[in-house]
Amino acid sequence: MTDQEIRAEAERRASDRTDQEIIRKTLDEGVQTVWDRFALQQPQCGFGQLGVCCNNCAMGPCRIDPFGGKTSLGVCGANVDTIVARNLLDDLSVGAAAHSDHGREVVQVLLETAEGHGQGYQIKDVEKLHRLATEYGIQTDGRATNDIAKDLALGILEEYGTIKNRIQLAERAPEQTKEIWRKTGIMPRSIDREIVEAMHRIHMGVDADYVNLLLHAMRTSLSDGWGGSMAATECSDILFGTPTPLTSITNLATLSREKVNIVLHGHNPLLSQMIVNVAEDPDLKRMAEEKGAKGINLVGMCCTGNELLMRSGIPLAGSFFDQELAIATGAVEAMVVDYQCIYHSIPLTAGCYHTKVFTTSTKGKISGTIYKEFKPENARDTAHEIIKLAIENFPNRNPDRVRIPERPMKVMAGFSEETIRKALGGTYKPLIDAIVAGTIRGCVGIVGCNNPRIKQDYGHITLAKELIKRNILVVETGCSAIACGKAGLLVPEAADLAGEGLASVCRLLGIPPVLHMGSCVDCSRILVLAANIAKELGVGIGDLPIGGAAPEWYSQKAISIGTYFVSSGVYTVLGIPPKIFGSSNVLNLLADGVKGITNSAFAVEPDPLKTADLLEAEINRKRKALNI
Amino acid sequence: MKTVFVRQERCVGCRHCEVACAIEHSKGKGLLSTIQEETKSYPRIFVEVIDNYLKFPNRCRHCDPAPCMQVCPTGSLYRDEQTGSVLIDYLKCIGCAVCAMACPFGIIQFQKIQKYEMNREVNAKCDNCIGRLEEGRIPACAEACKTSALEFGEANDLIRIARTDFTSRMITSRGSETEVPVIPENIRAFQKVMEKLASLS
Ligand code: SF4
Ligand code: SF4
Ligand code: SF4
Ligand code: SF4
Repeated sequence: MTDQEIRAEAERRASDRTDQEIIRKTLDEGVQTVWDRFALQQPQCGFGQLGVCCNNCAMGPCRIDPFGGKTSLGVCGANVDTIVARNLLDDLSVGAAAHSDHGREVVQVLLETAEGHGQGYQIKDVEKLHRLATEYGIQTDGRATNDIAKDLALGILEEYGTIKNRIQLAERAPEQTKEIWRKTGIMPRSIDREIVEAMHRIHMGVDADYVNLLLHAMRTSLSDGWGGSMAATECSDILFGTPTPLTSITNLATLSREKVNIVLHGHNPLLSQMIVNVAEDPDLKRMAEEKGAKGINLVGMCCTGNELLMRSGIPLAGSFFDQELAIATGAVEAMVVDYQCIYHSIPLTAGCYHTKVFTTSTKGKISGTIYKEFKPENARDTAHEIIKLAIENFPNRNPDRVRIPERPMKVMAGFSEETIRKALGGTYKPLIDAIVAGTIRGCVGIVGCNNPRIKQDYGHITLAKELIKRNILVVETGCSAIACGKAGLLVPEAADLAGEGLASVCRLLGIPPVLHMGSCVDCSRILVLAANIAKELGVGIGDLPIGGAAPEWYSQKAISIGTYFVSSGVYTVLGIPPKIFGSSNVLNLLADGVKGITNSAFAVEPDPLKTADLLEAEINRKRKALNI
Repeated sequence: MKTVFVRQERCVGCRHCEVACAIEHSKGKGLLSTIQEETKSYPRIFVEVIDNYLKFPNRCRHCDPAPCMQVCPTGSLYRDEQTGSVLIDYLKCIGCAVCAMACPFGIIQFQKIQKYEMNREVNAKCDNCIGRLEEGRIPACAEACKTSALEFGEANDLIRIARTDFTSRMITSRGSETEVPVIPENIRAFQKVMEKLASLS
């Protein structure tokens, strides 16, 4: 490739200047990345993309001719609607399981901490602990914090297999919304049960009715959003503190030329937060200096990065597509991963440089990495050891192959639901007033990942900019928030890009027009935010002038998030087509039929500008219904 | 004249045809044995793609006269009069690739041929599955294709179906005798989304 071709290719792949710079380096050095693998995978099988391929049993795999030919039934007799709906439920359940199982680990650590086994953990937000305990009917008066925490942890753990047929956290939804769930029979009954039942229904010869399958998909998603994900968020807050606004920096320029760089990547804050604490150890600092480094530089990546940014202001190196690029700077001594969204080929990338990759979860081992098992009872020691190994790797860095982009971008993060409410004076009234007056037209949650089908961050940034211009407040989580951080939208000055009404509110409160609310499990914060506003207004979530979007999603987790948004009443636009187009019945139900149940639906629209039109139209529809 | 007719708009890019072709030309003729054979058997049909939504399964058209046959200096290429297939005598081929230069479809690829335990690569083009044809079966690729993007039959019949299909799309009041269903609406919607995605940025 000529320099000019390399430049053009980098611009085609990513929006961010620092990403483009390192993509050019990978192309120069012949280091394979996600974009190369995507190109090598073309063409991708249309049966799979349309969702009409079933590989569930050993009579198969079967695929349905999408053009209506003779191959219209699987060997078992399943028709196209069954197969598409079953595949969707399968994907969704995987996503819900990922969130909820992550949540379970956090609750378990809360329990072990309360019992005094968690090494180095403590309960940071006692106020929130008490608030949750009260929700769970646990006595707090005059009791020791650890005793309350133990009861609460047991109470939440019980939600996973509860036989009481309801999840306590889901009670937070407004009455009108819960009534819809009850009436439709999609009230989640326990966190694990819905996933197990989904697996059962997917088995050959069980559920063949696509409507029935999709309703269960909705229920399963609710057990994630109002169950497992919410448990993850709430218990992480109790253990590590509820986020409050803070400023930090983002993009690949957060890596340091002089310090030992450790990238913390994955989703769960349990070990990474410990690494943050341990890195303060003066002994480790001294050790780094002995190895010729000026200290230790911790940076976050993906949702682990979001968790650390939200609570500790740790710089955020990037999103899902930046994991290889960070390594390709040649300046990363260690990448520590827990689970979810880790490229399985990451040791190959690391092998092109001196980077050591550490896997830490018994659930997420990758051969070719150094495995340091994380357990709550030895968290501190494990964190210490990993940092030490990273420091020892510093002399192996080859300065000739290092390239770190200049100028990190400033970000403001830490907008938990509690913080937003507090900033408004303890009630949503000011926000509601602004919405009623039309100063702010409504609110949209942009969430989700990166996907090589679309230029990295293009969908997130373009949509966020377009919405704020139209006086629609944007809240974000996950890689979407990181995208907008890199693009400079997460600072109060970005109010200049917003429409007059929204800009004036942002200036008054000193907040950005795009609010970073956390990691993907923190989409549960968006649910609580919506629930609390709805309750103040005395309506259901489905009545609010709000919307959701996942312009660049790729993960099964995003399917679960999108579905719990829609099931909770939030109209949601997907930028990447889900694997359902093979069945017009499934397609119609999700894009239209579900409206009659939840007053919300899915739409598919890759163009972020058209997505903004759809969301604005939905907000106007809801405003009109509310007579505002 | 019998041929494998391609309906590009029905190709979903699953590459069943490629796999089936490689298996057909392997020693063991089974999926599991094929992937373990020492001299690998590679497909002779190629599903090419643009932007992951436009796909075309490209294979030898068995032209008559065949440009490759006309230029081959060693006379390796010949026609099987019975089936009209352009075939190759692997042992005669010297690997000069002149045929590939003349082929209007660019489908000639060179491979080692297992049967002869050759160490050199020779023209291993589509042989129309001549062995199958002689047994009264259809080519492996056409059999593997579940969307009828590849169909084996009398060229004129297949063309007529395509023509009817086109006509039926032109005429609003379609009769029930339409032989080929038009592209369903949901599939069109999918293609539109994919096209839009590809055209962004
Ligand atoms: S479950 Fe039915 S459709 Fe799926 S692979 Fe088995 S036979 Fe085929
Ligand atoms: S490569 Fe073989 S078949 Fe092709 S022209 Fe040369 S000799 Fe003939
Ligand atoms: S006809 Fe046979 S040899 Fe030719 S492409 Fe099809 S499967 Fe391969
Ligand atoms: S088998 Fe048919 S649909 Fe699949 S790639 Fe080949 S021609 Fe296309």
